[in-house]
Amino acid sequence: MAAMLEPRGSVALDDYLLDIAWSPDGASLGVIGGEGKVALVSHEASALRAETLGEHMLGALAIAWSPVGSSFVTSGQDGAIEIWNGTDGSRVRTLRPAKSATTQLAYSPDGKRLASAAGRVVSIWRDDGELEHAFEPHASSVAALAWNKPGRDLGAALNGGIAVHRIEPPRWATRFYKWPAAAQTVAFSPNGKMVAAGMQDGAVHFWYLASAKDSQMRGYPGRVNLTAWSGNSRYLATGSGNDIVCWDFGGKGPEGSKPIQLTGHTDRVESLAFQPGGAHLVSGGRDWRLSLWQPGRHTRALDAHLMGAAVSTVRWSPNGRFVAVGEATGRLSVFELQ
Amino acid sequence: MATNKRVPVTVLTGFLGSGKTTLLNRILSEQHGKRIAVIENEFGEVGVDHQLVIGAEEELFETNNGCICCTVRGDLLRILGQLMKRRDRFDYVIIETTGMADPGPVAQTFFLDDDLKEQFMLDAIVTLVDAKHFEQHLAEMKEPAEQVAFADVVLLNKSDLVSAADLERIERRIRAMNGTARIFRTRNSDIAIDAVLDVGAFDLERALSVDGAFLQPQYPFEWAGVYQLAAGSYVLRTGAETHAHHHAPHHDHDHDHDHDHDHAHAHGAGLGVVLLPAAAASDDALAALIEPAVRAFAEDALAVACEGALAIGATLQRIDVTHSGSHFRLQVEQPGAYALFCEHAPVEFNLRLEGATPAVERAFASHHHDEEISSIGISDARPLDPKKVNDWISYLLQSRGQDIFRMKGVLNLRGEDRRYVFHGVHMMFDGALERPWAGAARQNSLVFIGRKLDRLELEAGFHSCLA
Repeated sequence: MAAMLEPRGSVALDDYLLDIAWSPDGASLGVIGGEGKVALVSHEASALRAETLGEHMLGALAIAWSPVGSSFVTSGQDGAIEIWNGTDGSRVRTLRPAKSATTQLAYSPDGKRLASAAGRVVSIWRDDGELEHAFEPHASSVAALAWNKPGRDLGAALNGGIAVHRIEPPRWATRFYKWPAAAQTVAFSPNGKMVAAGMQDGAVHFWYLASAKDSQMRGYPGRVNLTAWSGNSRYLATGSGNDIVCWDFGGKGPEGSKPIQLTGHTDRVESLAFQPGGAHLVSGGRDWRLSLWQPGRHTRALDAHLMGAAVSTVRWSPNGRFVAVGEATGRLSVFELQ
Repeated sequence: MATNKRVPVTVLTGFLGSGKTTLLNRILSEQHGKRIAVIENEFGEVGVDHQLVIGAEEELFETNNGCICCTVRGDLLRILGQLMKRRDRFDYVIIETTGMADPGPVAQTFFLDDDLKEQFMLDAIVTLVDAKHFEQHLAEMKEPAEQVAFADVVLLNKSDLVSAADLERIERRIRAMNGTARIFRTRNSDIAIDAVLDVGAFDLERALSVDGAFLQPQYPFEWAGVYQLAAGSYVLRTGAETHAHHHAPHHDHDHDHDHDHDHAHAHGAGLGVVLLPAAAASDDALAALIEPAVRAFAEDALAVACEGALAIGATLQRIDVTHSGSHFRLQVEQPGAYALFCEHAPVEFNLRLEGATPAVERAFASHHHDEEISSIGISDARPLDPKKVNDWISYLLQSRGQDIFRMKGVLNLRGEDRRYVFHGVHMMFDGALERPWAGAARQNSLVFIGRKLDRLELEAGFHSCLA
């Protein structure tokens, strides 16, 4: 029997649900809203309970949960980065790093470092909130941040390609993978061989890190906002407009191979996520749809649910069993993969 | 999301000190019932305690080969994208650009990005001009002229800080650069909100208003007056109404010297005048002399120094107006009506024929100012061939897109009951069939605003489209 997503409960939050971050044990979720809400949702025995912790004036922008701990961070238009205790919901610390708002937050896989981007500046913080390093401002603002799996490299999406910061104090070296277009996303393949970026001009660009050889896949209807690697580095799922396109990196690689088109969404896909340690992909769109896919096996959705509003974000629990789904009207739902 | 729910966006441009922040504060503090989000490039200037003021750092994305026509504003993409993620929808967005900003990429952002186009609609580009410093800025930098060229609405602000003649001249220069913008003279950015918000300048469905005066034929002169003169000696005089010229030379320097220097900037050497005998001191007699005057203005000019004598007849004379209180002698042998044609409006120089007032006068649309940026209008009733129009517009966008900042028009297409309405920003183009002509007179009206535009080339292109 094909896999299915079983609804396990939902809770209403009074905000546009911008993003969700799971705690490593899957027992809690941090949530941020477009109007600024920061909330903690407990997920125990399938019952969801939400508690509002605070607010970023003018809107929240980013959230990340430490992969090894009980704290999470949020940032907002107010310029602040807040560190929250995910157990009792208290505010641990407020950082005000720059005049520009922090738009990106990403914990290193070992949880010892937090990377942030505010405007053109990438900063590295220690887990206690002390600033460890601020890189020289880039030539453009940073559209996305991502760590590679070992946590040695941090990628930054720029107008003009990708910067890869080597996190190796005290050298803090930076390599550039240039391409004359604006990168929207950055994603390292889990096997560490390549870095991919969705581009503003309707292409996916990727670089083989060892040789710096690059390649690109064109033909998207508009900018490529979403990129997600499968855990085995075989597939790169990409989203642009209503389309989800997967590239197969098995065998000789995607160059010259036909893309796998996953069809079903009838409005813009807002979020894509590959199952940690698994073969399943979930997507959510403005067509109110939550879809479950298995690229390489099926081009049609294995399962789909019509939610109560446009889906803004979909996030797998770290164990790959649950999917949290956020909606534009504020509902957060959890599904279990069967 | 339905198209009619799109949130209108006003772009506010203008040099530092032109009054953008004052205008913004006025808009935000007024009780208009709108919930307005403000994106500021000059952060922290808005003084009103407003909930939705977001700072941005101007960032250009060249989406194609570094071509200015394909450059968009990355910061706006991000911030407007963020603004969509709110349930408490705001009704309006105002983008305040930096003083040196090029409005092109701001406008293009709304054409090039599909996500943005779905949610937001560019309403108008509003440019504030500091009347006191505009001409100086114009002489030193290219941005002020570009900001005026892109504008749908120009606020000629701080109008109380310059003389009436200066204001007149500045407005003419603005009009010469941008033939279609609505120009308002303001003090302290004081303007009715509906003159700057919800203007609908990029809305194809709203009737496209191309300023009527702009589409009139254009003349090498701006003013003509007919005087009834008896035989005798007359003096044509410029400058202040003072007799200080003779006994207190430093006095008139104090009064008018700066002012006259500005003229030297704007008009080069001398003011062109032609003096012709008229059949009568009447409108008809004046009208009959327009053609001879146009011909005379096309001829080489005769320079007339201060205190020199003016000739009557079909000769263009350039009178030296670089100093205040310049005067020129006129000897009339035959009593009768005489028409004086002036290159620029006499009010700019306080030019007058002493002891006489014109019985009849008339202003003319003139666009022969030597601005690098100009507007060219084409008005023609004949039907056009849709295929040929398509070819011509495509050619224009590709070959002249860099220099054409804005274009708009209403076209009378052969065999089509509806008006074809279009507008463009550089290479971005948007056009659609809109309201039926019904009983209205079918007419093509096109306007191009840009740098180094060639009227003959544009007219030839237009003529190639005739059905």
